[in-house]
Amino acid sequence: MMGECLSLSDVEVRWSGRTILAVEDMQIRQGEFVGIIGTNGAGKTTLLKVCCGLIRPNRGIVKLDEHDLSELSAWRKANLRKHIGYIPQAAEYNAELPFTLRELVAMGRTSVKALLRRLNKEDYEVVDNWIERLGLSERRSQTFRSLSGGEQQKALIARAMAQDPEILMLDEPCSNLDFNWKYQITEIIEQLHRETKVTVVMVSHETSLLPSGCKRAVLLHEGNILADGDIEEVLESEVLERAYQCRIEMLTLAGRRYTVNKS
Amino acid sequence: MDSFFYLVMFAGAVAGASTGLLGVYIVGMRMPFIGICISHSAMAGTIYSILLGVNPVLGPVVFSALSSMSLGVVRPGRSRINANVALAIFFNLMLGLTFLGIGLMHGSRSEVLGLLWGSLLFVRKSSVVIIAISGLVFVVFAALFNKELKVLLFSRTIASATGVHESFVYCLFLALCGLVLAVNLPLVGGLMIFSLITCPAAAAYQICTGHRSVIFAATIFGMGSAVAGFLVSYYLDLPTGACIVIVSAIIFAVSASYRALRRKRN
Repeated sequence: MMGECLSLSDVEVRWSGRTILAVEDMQIRQGEFVGIIGTNGAGKTTLLKVCCGLIRPNRGIVKLDEHDLSELSAWRKANLRKHIGYIPQAAEYNAELPFTLRELVAMGRTSVKALLRRLNKEDYEVVDNWIERLGLSERRSQTFRSLSGGEQQKALIARAMAQDPEILMLDEPCSNLDFNWKYQITEIIEQLHRETKVTVVMVSHETSLLPSGCKRAVLLHEGNILADGDIEEVLESEVLERAYQCRIEMLTLAGRRYTVNKS
Repeated sequence: MDSFFYLVMFAGAVAGASTGLLGVYIVGMRMPFIGICISHSAMAGTIYSILLGVNPVLGPVVFSALSSMSLGVVRPGRSRINANVALAIFFNLMLGLTFLGIGLMHGSRSEVLGLLWGSLLFVRKSSVVIIAISGLVFVVFAALFNKELKVLLFSRTIASATGVHESFVYCLFLALCGLVLAVNLPLVGGLMIFSLITCPAAAAYQICTGHRSVIFAATIFGMGSAVAGFLVSYYLDLPTGACIVIVSAIIFAVSASYRALRRKRN
C-alpha cells in the first residue's frame, strides 16, 4: 500500500467568525490523483492552500510527509515544501512582468537549490527538457506575457515539473481557457501523473475537466466534505444534487463526466 | 560648469542608479507606495534624531529599516489586509509622526522641510560615498538572491507554497529597501525618491524582454533621469528636483508609447 503524503485531521478554518472549511479526516496517498470539486465558495481553494501550508487552520493538524506543519519553524516548513509543485489561479501571479518563458520555467529550480547557490548547467538541462516535453521549445525566448492563455498554463506546469515535485497542486488550471485548451491541459496533467507517478491534487469547477486518470474525487459544500471516495460514486447525480441544489444528470463521453442541469 | 556640479551630477547618477534598481523589485511586486512610505519613515527618523540629539544618519536608517521590516508581516493568502492598504495606513502613521515631530521642534525647520524635495545642490562627498555603499550592498543582495527574488516578483504565493525561503528573502529585501531609501532621502527628498523608484522601473518593464535587461535598463533610466534632469535645470535655471521628476516621467511615457507602437505593428 502506498504511504500517505498528506493528511488533515479535525481541521477548521474560520474567517470573520464564520467556518469556511471543516475537514474531519482526509488523507492523500502517494501517487493518487485527487479531484476537488464543489460549488462557488465551497472551500476548494482554501482546502488546497491549507494542504500546502499557505493558510494555517484555526484548529487541527495538517501533516505533510508525516510532519505536523504547525510544529515546524518557517525555515523547516520551507524545506519541506520544496517537494510541492503549486499552480495558483491567475490572480495570484504577475503575468505582466517580462520574464522569458525559459526564465519562468527555471524558477521551478529555485527551491531545489540551496540559498546563495546559482542554477548550473544541469538545472538548465532539466528546464530545457520540460520546455521541450510540453512543446514550448519555439517559445522559450518569448516573454510569458506574450503567450496565449493555454501556453501560459503549459509554462506554469513546466515550471512546477522542473521542481521535480512529489505532489502537484493545481487550483483551477483550466479557468479562462477555451474548450480545446481545457482538454489539452488536462490531458497533459494526466499524462504527467501517469509517467512520473507524481501525486496530483486538482481543484476544478467542472467535473468534465477531471481526466480519466483521476480515480478519486472530494466534493465540498459550504466548507464541509460532502463526499470523498471513488470518482464513480462521488459524481453520482444524487450526490451532486445535494451540493448544487438542482436536478442533475451525468453524461459520460470519452471517459469524461459531464454535468447537465435538468432543473 | 563649475567642478562642484560634477560632484552633484555624480551624486544624482549614483542615487538614480540605486533607486532605479530598487524600483525593479518594488514596482514588480506591485507596491510602489512602499517608496513614499519608507522615505517618510526615514523623515520621521531624521526629525526624532534631531529632537533627541542622536546621530542624524543612524536614526532614519534604523527607523526606516524597522518600519519596512514590519511590513513583512503582511503575508499573501494569510493576511486579511492587502499589502498596499497596509502601506497606506503605515504612511499615514509616519506622516502623523513626522508633522508631530516638526511641531515639537524649536528654531529653523528649513532643514527638515528640505527632506521633502531633497538638497542635491548641497551634496557633500561623504553623502555620495554613503549612498554608493548602500547601493553596492543592494547590488550584492540582488546578485546573491537573484533566483529567489525572481520567484518573489512573479508570485509570493508560489514562492511561499513551493519552499522558496520567501519570508527570509522578503524581510531582508525590505530592510535593505529601508537602508537605501534612508540614505538617499537627504539628497533626493521624500517626494522625488518616489518618482525615481517608480518611473525608471516601470519604463524598463514596458520595453524589456528578460529580467536581466529590466535590471540594466531601470538602472540606466534612473541614472539618466537624474543626470538629464540636472542638466536641464542647470542650463534652463529651473528647480532641480522638479526637472528630474519630469525627465523620469518622460522616459516612462516614451517607453510606454514605444511598446504600444510595437504591439500595433505586430
